[in-house]
Amino acid sequence: MRRWPIALGFAFVALAAGVIASRGGGLPLRWLSGGAQSDVLDRYCVGCHNDPERAGGVSFESLDREELAGHADVWEAAVRKLRTGLMPPLGEPRPDRTVLDGFAASLEAGLDVAWARAPNPGTRPLARLTRTEYANAIRDLLAYDASAIASTLPPDATVGGFDNNAAALGVSPTLLEGYATAAMQIGRRAVGDRTMGHGETRYTALPGAAQRAPIEGLPLGTRGGLAVEHTFPLDAEYELVVSAAIPVGGWNNPTGALVYCDGPAVDVTFNGAPVAVENPRRIRLRVPAGPQRITVALVDERRCAGVNELYAGETGLGGAVQALTIIGPFDSTGAGDTPSRSEIFVCRPRSAAEAAPCAEQILSRLATRAYRRPVASAGREVAELMRFYAQGREEGGDFDAGIGYALSRLLVDPRFLYRFEREPDDVAVGAVYAIDDFELASRLSFFLWSSIPDDELLALAAEGRLGERAVLAAQVDRMLGDERSSALVENFASQWLMLRELDTVVPQDPDFDEDLRAAMRRETELLFTDLVREPRSVLTLLDADYTHLNERLAAHYGVDGVRGSHMRRVAWPEGGPRLGVLGHGSILTATSAPNRTSPVVRGQWLMQSLLGAKIPSPPPGAEADLSAEASESEGLVGDTVRARLELHRANPTCAGCHGIMDPLGLSLENFDLLGRWRDSEDGHPIDAAARMVDGTDLHGPQDLRAALLARSDVFVAAMTERLITYAMGRELESHDMPVVRGVVRSAGQEDYTLRALVQAIVASDTFRKRVKAGAAPAPN
Amino acid sequence: MPYLTKKHLSRRTLLRGTGAALALPLLESMLPAAARRAWAAGEPPARVAFMYIPHGAVMDGWLPAGADGELALGPTMQSLTPWRGSLNVVSGLTLPAAYVGEATAGANHVRASRCWLTCAPLDTGASPTSADQVAAAHIGQETPLPSLELALESGESIAYRTPTTPLPMETNPRVVFERLFGDGSTPEERAARQRQFASLLDAVAGEVAPLQRSLPAADRARLDRYLTDIRELERRLALAADSTLADLDVPDKPNGAPPDFEEHAALMFDMLALAWQADLTRVATVLVARELSNRVYTRSGIAEGFHNCSHHSEVPANIERLARLNEYHTRTTIGSLLQKLGGTPDGEGTLLDHSLVVYGSGMSNANQHDHHPLPMLLAGGARGVQGGRHIRVAEDTPAANLLLGVLHKLDVPLESFADSTGVMEI
Repeated sequence: MRRWPIALGFAFVALAAGVIASRGGGLPLRWLSGGAQSDVLDRYCVGCHNDPERAGGVSFESLDREELAGHADVWEAAVRKLRTGLMPPLGEPRPDRTVLDGFAASLEAGLDVAWARAPNPGTRPLARLTRTEYANAIRDLLAYDASAIASTLPPDATVGGFDNNAAALGVSPTLLEGYATAAMQIGRRAVGDRTMGHGETRYTALPGAAQRAPIEGLPLGTRGGLAVEHTFPLDAEYELVVSAAIPVGGWNNPTGALVYCDGPAVDVTFNGAPVAVENPRRIRLRVPAGPQRITVALVDERRCAGVNELYAGETGLGGAVQALTIIGPFDSTGAGDTPSRSEIFVCRPRSAAEAAPCAEQILSRLATRAYRRPVASAGREVAELMRFYAQGREEGGDFDAGIGYALSRLLVDPRFLYRFEREPDDVAVGAVYAIDDFELASRLSFFLWSSIPDDELLALAAEGRLGERAVLAAQVDRMLGDERSSALVENFASQWLMLRELDTVVPQDPDFDEDLRAAMRRETELLFTDLVREPRSVLTLLDADYTHLNERLAAHYGVDGVRGSHMRRVAWPEGGPRLGVLGHGSILTATSAPNRTSPVVRGQWLMQSLLGAKIPSPPPGAEADLSAEASESEGLVGDTVRARLELHRANPTCAGCHGIMDPLGLSLENFDLLGRWRDSEDGHPIDAAARMVDGTDLHGPQDLRAALLARSDVFVAAMTERLITYAMGRELESHDMPVVRGVVRSAGQEDYTLRALVQAIVASDTFRKRVKAGAAPAPN
Repeated sequence: MPYLTKKHLSRRTLLRGTGAALALPLLESMLPAAARRAWAAGEPPARVAFMYIPHGAVMDGWLPAGADGELALGPTMQSLTPWRGSLNVVSGLTLPAAYVGEATAGANHVRASRCWLTCAPLDTGASPTSADQVAAAHIGQETPLPSLELALESGESIAYRTPTTPLPMETNPRVVFERLFGDGSTPEERAARQRQFASLLDAVAGEVAPLQRSLPAADRARLDRYLTDIRELERRLALAADSTLADLDVPDKPNGAPPDFEEHAALMFDMLALAWQADLTRVATVLVARELSNRVYTRSGIAEGFHNCSHHSEVPANIERLARLNEYHTRTTIGSLLQKLGGTPDGEGTLLDHSLVVYGSGMSNANQHDHHPLPMLLAGGARGVQGGRHIRVAEDTPAANLLLGVLHKLDVPLESFADSTGVMEI
């Protein structure tokens, strides 16, 4: 039971806080004054953080040591510095870790008790839906895949690590114009737009090595290519254009067409059935509306032997399917039977008299989902939608077009585009109140699904039961089990674990290609998916004894026996170097410079993202170029990145922070810029030895992992902070930290499973309540 | 050119070609009737663009040889030789606002681009509107779009209506196209959609006030912004109706951002030129890359990421490498735009004759994160601006003086702009 000692530590703190809290709020709390902890403060902190000196703008000298609530922000910052090892600074006297931990625990207990006397859940600021949330909401509302349309909306800015931060989710005329245009397009397309002109959709195949081998899910006997699920908007004809490699002669070389050998070189299947193609580049087909699966690949015939070799090295050019373009619709015969039409048209008017009641039925049902609140079919909201329905019919449209018009109105409504939480009039400023059940349903669905609540959540809210403890917990379990919870992987994990950075890095290494990038990303996503789907401790992220590999990634890691493009579970040997995400190519690559490793970036990422430290930026002019060519001028002559880095760290200005974060990164030096294992760099043996600020010696990734696990309380707290930041769409403040600790304590009783963390977050005041903001700031 | 249909390709070739005689009839037909009427009376209106390049420049390569006066283009700008007569290199400017605040490397980068057109320190209320938006407020009110914000890489905006309202910069040519020409395949369809769009805005505007009553004060203010934006869109819509956009013969839609940088840039400049030519807007900003971008420009022949490359540590070989990247950017961005503008007829001359384009950075030597002396280039001959000069300014002249000079040429009646200390006569 390696996690036992940590759980014990939390139990102690929880108990202490509990005892004091039970005594009631009136008694003076002497956490620091006169006691041993006060001595620690005087001895190790006040030497610099005193009134005359105010190092870093902080003085503890005249702060109230009995009542911590008055300066909770200062004390919380101190706790963070202590817990992440940034204080006391290097070179100053530093007591044993147990002393610092005890001191931090005592501050935390004091802060927690103060918070419990006057809990402050903060607020959830009004926010527009993100692009991702918008596309997901359309999917769940209309069974329509709007991701292509949503991708044309201006991208959302990332603030505090996440793109769902309310502060950044404002509007501008351009954005509003984008949302209105999207709403009109979606309204038309979802009901089947007979007037739509033909357009093009281009799907690009993964370039590079992927094109030289068979791809999972594509027909046997082929290599490379791509498979797409395309939603055809109407029953109509469509043209499929296959772009394959251009031979050296280029486009204009008439003999250099796309057939590399005799016979049909391109294999096209439509919903699994082969399509006969005379000219493999262009196919015209009549296709029923709705989603269809199409595959395109090169036929890997023996007669083609030599082609691969001929074009080897020209991965972008030689012998490869590059893209599939779908053009259409042409000669449409009808709107057909698409998932979105089935979802929308729950009734069909059989006569003119039935049209209006049917439209009301359709629209009140969709409006309830879209606005996340009950909408009565006779209500004002539906009347407004009916006005647009009538307008659509006036513009010469049929029943379907009228519904399409009304949908566009629904989708630009602020009640759809914005996440509102009402403020009751009868609550005093500064008072804390529970949000209503519908607001709770939205907080839940946007947190776990990045989308709107489903009918079950809305029904429970309507019954007023969603807030019941057992009902809420059961819903959280249901939602985590639902496939929509993959949003936690795609939106939370991908932003927290650098996967979005991985998408844009351009490592200067011939081994790197899109195939490898995709496999790296998938590896990390699949590990996080396991946390969502299985009762696993989040510490698995640090020490998973397995991972998911396909042939490409396995070869990259030097693992034998994995064939094909399918990612499957592979066990790591006990005590191996790659356990957990610290051995994932995704993170190791995303934290490297394009042409070398960056122990600084790796260390900084570990400190900030995994341990929750706040590290100040370097002073101006303090940046150093550690590439081999550049460093001479700075006197940083050394054979390896490590050697140059150590010279740079000898500078006392740099050492303050780098002395703390670099060792973490240096212990990963055996992983090169793409996360491959290496024993030497430019002929010099890798030295992955480093000493952490608390004196722990590291000799490589295994030791780093052990050190992080020994501080797993800090890791879990940092992850909890990220989760709450994501759930609330705002950056956390000092009044949120007691909640973070409460969640960690609670989840600790269930081995820190992700489910337990989510359950505790959802049960917390921060998630279920808000404070009425006003002129006077809320207490604490 | 896989990103354009064949039909567009041929037209685009026409647009790009230097054969003005061939291109002219088509271009004329693209002009909205209102614009044609207005220009028939006199000179075409002045247009203005601001194009930002991050990470400064190697100043030795950027600066012209010789002193003031006659312009002898430096190595970075050799590719601009054909337009030398329309160029002025302005040297010695500084960006004081970018020095204000946290003196960290990251913050210095952020401020370099954010202050470039605002010339105001972050987080202060002083003249928060960027120069392009000041221009848009004056000369952008007669066109359907007050301004157009384009980017060749997504990143923090350089255009600010207020300190907290950056205008998103669009990287997708298809989206730019739809903003300019609307969504619909026939004039009737476009007109019907415009009516739908107008009634949607109208309906939503009426929805906001009742909703606001139940909201916390801070949220109410946020929703106010939504309402303001609706009004602004309604105003634009009215203008679009006036300019008989429905008559516009528009080219086919591009499909998305080409992965190739040069293709992407050329496509965006095509749109910009078309928007100017059709008088859909008169103001534009272009972000070539974001500060701290580590993009690798494969066709430049330099395998290093941009930001990494900019930290040359004063090593001659590294400086040389960055200078080559500067040359590449100059050729493929401002060079490509000048070629487009110079080849597009407009009134009696070309678009280049009736525009002012400021190209430059909020950084100088990026290795030092210095904001002085800035690399700045002024191109175009609108309002009689003469080219072919190297304008060397006095020590400590803020960039705001140049921006104010440009604004004056656009008849913006401002006595000062942000931290300007005077008007640069251009």
